[in-house]
Amino acid sequence: MLSKSQARLFFIVGTIFFSGVFLWLTVDTIRQVPNQTRAANITPAVDRGKKIWEANNCMGCHTIFGEGAYYAPELTKVVERRGEVWLKTFLKDPEAMYPGERKMTNYHFSDNQINDVIAFLKWAGEVDLNGFPAKPTLSATTASAPVSNLDLLKGAPSTFSQLCTACHSVGGKGGNVGPALDGVASRMSAEEMTKRIKDPMSVKPDSKMPKLGLSDGDISQLVAFLQTLK
Amino acid sequence: MKYASQKVAFWFFATCMLLFTLQLIYGFIMGFAHMGFDVLHDLIPFNTARAVHTNLLVVWLLTGFMGAAHYIIPDEVQRELYSVKLAYIQLGSLVVVGVVALIGFHVNWWEGRKFLEIPRPLDYLVVVNVLTFLFNIGMTVFKANRASTTSIVLYTGLVAAALLYLPGMIYFENQTMDSYFRWWVVHLWVEGVWELIMGGILAYLLIKLTGVDREVIEKWLYIIVGLTFLSGILGTGHHYYYIGAPKYWLWVGGIFSALEPLAFLGMALFAITMYRRSGREHPNKLALMWTMGCAIMSFVGAGFLGFAHTLPQVNLYTHGTLVTAMHGHLAFWGAYAMIVLAIINYSMPLMTGRKNYGSMTGNLAFWLSNIGMLGMTGAFAVAGIAQVYLERKMGMDFLQVQREVEPHFLGLVLAASLFTVGIALYIFDFTKFGFPSDEALGVSEDTTVVV
Ligand code: HEC
Ligand code: HEC
Ligand code: HEM
Ligand code: HEM
Ligand SMILES: [Fe+2]
Repeated sequence: MLSKSQARLFFIVGTIFFSGVFLWLTVDTIRQVPNQTRAANITPAVDRGKKIWEANNCMGCHTIFGEGAYYAPELTKVVERRGEVWLKTFLKDPEAMYPGERKMTNYHFSDNQINDVIAFLKWAGEVDLNGFPAKPTLSATTASAPVSNLDLLKGAPSTFSQLCTACHSVGGKGGNVGPALDGVASRMSAEEMTKRIKDPMSVKPDSKMPKLGLSDGDISQLVAFLQTLK
Repeated sequence: MKYASQKVAFWFFATCMLLFTLQLIYGFIMGFAHMGFDVLHDLIPFNTARAVHTNLLVVWLLTGFMGAAHYIIPDEVQRELYSVKLAYIQLGSLVVVGVVALIGFHVNWWEGRKFLEIPRPLDYLVVVNVLTFLFNIGMTVFKANRASTTSIVLYTGLVAAALLYLPGMIYFENQTMDSYFRWWVVHLWVEGVWELIMGGILAYLLIKLTGVDREVIEKWLYIIVGLTFLSGILGTGHHYYYIGAPKYWLWVGGIFSALEPLAFLGMALFAITMYRRSGREHPNKLALMWTMGCAIMSFVGAGFLGFAHTLPQVNLYTHGTLVTAMHGHLAFWGAYAMIVLAIINYSMPLMTGRKNYGSMTGNLAFWLSNIGMLGMTGAFAVAGIAQVYLERKMGMDFLQVQREVEPHFLGLVLAASLFTVGIALYIFDFTKFGFPSDEALGVSEDTTVVV
């Protein structure tokens, strides 16, 4: 059996040896990380975004790179998933986009701050994470992600597939917060639609659809498209 | 109790009880939020509740370790504490820094990095505070000029924990590097140097409670902490799989972290073997229960449940889900909360002179808290596994999955209530001892020899 001094030797030698290996691997990691994380793309905007991320403890509800809290969605690939237009509208007033859901704090960010946050999230989405998050291996049953390559949506303006489909579905694809928009043109006129999109509360005071603050040009494009959904 | 200065430990332990209570309140806030009742959102949003919950946990455990050191070190090196006054100042300032940090979390003042939320200016104060503590204990050992293995291992763990706090304070623009060094604090604490602290306290308790020869116990202590570092240092790699670090971490982290349960298994076997060899009957049965409970539950929570998601193939799907929360709870409870509760239970009768061993409330406290914690672990496990399947394997939307698992949070809150009743009884038992007294000096431990 081992004596006490041999046991001590085992402890000391083991600790020194494995600490050495760990430091060596750390040096190598520091060497490789800039390449793997595309550090060249870390612009001042990305850095400002990271600081906003930390100053508000977004990690206290969300995960990024799978690290953080388990209360709100994993955000590593959120730019890919939602698109920048959707994110800009969402970050202006998070509750409006998810009426009646679990709440996110409204930080009343300025447009510049929102751009910085999105820049940070976009950079994060492009880091090589050795395969995380994994593609679902069993068949998906629900799809609330924006639709982009659907026949019906051929003529859709980009605002539609980036914003509206988060809540509305067309052809069975899209979100389920608002009603499906298939055949919406047979339900309402162009004027009604315009009013609805411009200020949903004016039509229905308790509307769960947010006022999205789109330009008149965007709205007329959207209405023109919606009129095709007969 | 042999030395009057050991009494300061009481104030550290009393602080523990207070902070622990607050920690549980914030746990309930999060439990209810997960059930769909985030009614406090505007006052205490989830991220505030979470930062308070986990930081209070870390602070009360550290306070408990410090209390343990103030009790154990004088006894081991056979000398009064270097400065009692310094110990009080250090505890007081720790509480002040802690309270400021907690208030900060309620007004959006923090660093927003998981487990290291304390804002930078306060970090410096924490460092000064911990240095004060280390100085006081270090001078005690130095002046005594006589150190036992147990005291060396305990002290090394405390010094290393202080040193490892520093890498977490470097700023990196790159989230990957930020995370890489954040783990030097978080992982190398709980799966490295804190195990030294735990091992040191465990060895001390076993020497006192079982009466097995110190040489035998301390030899095993070296082997166990040797195993800890052999596996735990490179085991850090299990946090580097999917954060943007090189791919070799998948196998380095996989292999070495898979060996980590050995240290916890060693700890459990060590305690059980020493218990069986026990040559004496110590009257403090409760302290023995907590000690043995700690050795066993740490293996279940850290060793077994840690292993369950440590291989990269598994972690790819479980990474950052409620499965992690399941493991986090039982591991922290079994290894660190229980060892602190064990040393409190052992030392209170000796500091106060009240031989309140094995009361009914004390026994209930042990069983209810442990059964409650196992129930909580089960609730997190069911919710976590459902989340992994629905969200990660089938691609269902996050919020939709959260609605599916809401009922399990009712389970969590019910189990947590049982747990909380257990802790309330523990604290009630604690208050029954009253304050430490010099009359307890030199009173023997009433052990009876059994052959
Ligand atoms: C945050 C979710 C959300 C978003 C984003 C959203 N909507 Fe809505 N929308 C709703 C809800 C909910 C209703 C149901 C009626 C109500 O509560 O006002 C609705 C109703 C409508 C209606 C009336 C449909 C009917 O059949 O009565 C139209 C048209 C419409 N939305 C168009 C749009 C367009 C165009 C966009 C993109 C610019 C959009 N919505 C974005 C939630 C949303
Ligand atoms: C109090 C918890 C909380 C905090 C803090 C928080 N969020 Fe959220 N966040 C949520 C929740 C919950 C959702 C899910 C949608 C909803 O219900 O609003 C969400 C959704 C999001 C989404 C959309 C994700 C998706 O897949 O649709 C983004 C982007 C986001 N948050 C960014 C942030 C950023 C950036 C911060 C920090 C400045 C932050 N969040 C802080 C709770 C939080
Ligand atoms: C007492 C010792 C331990 C404690 C207190 C503990 C606690 C924790 C905590 C709190 C986390 C969450 C960290 C975060 O995501 O920020 C975590 C993660 C993890 N732990 Fe432990 N742990 C212990 C031991 C172990 C052991 C021995 C193993 C392996 C055998 C292990 C494997 C893991 C893994 C793989 C993760 C990452 C989970 C993920 O990817 O989300 N842990 N641990
Ligand atoms: C009243 C009892 C408790 C309740 C209801 C509770 C609930 C929770 C909840 C809901 C979370 C957040 C998970 C998330 O991010 O969504 C959490 C996190 C955590 N709790 Fe508790 N908790 C309780 C007691 C404890 C105790 C006693 C400990 C330690 C021994 C503990 C340690 C932790 C840790 C380490 C985390 C972070 C886990 C991680 O990030 O993986 N909790 N708790
Ligand atoms: Fe770890």
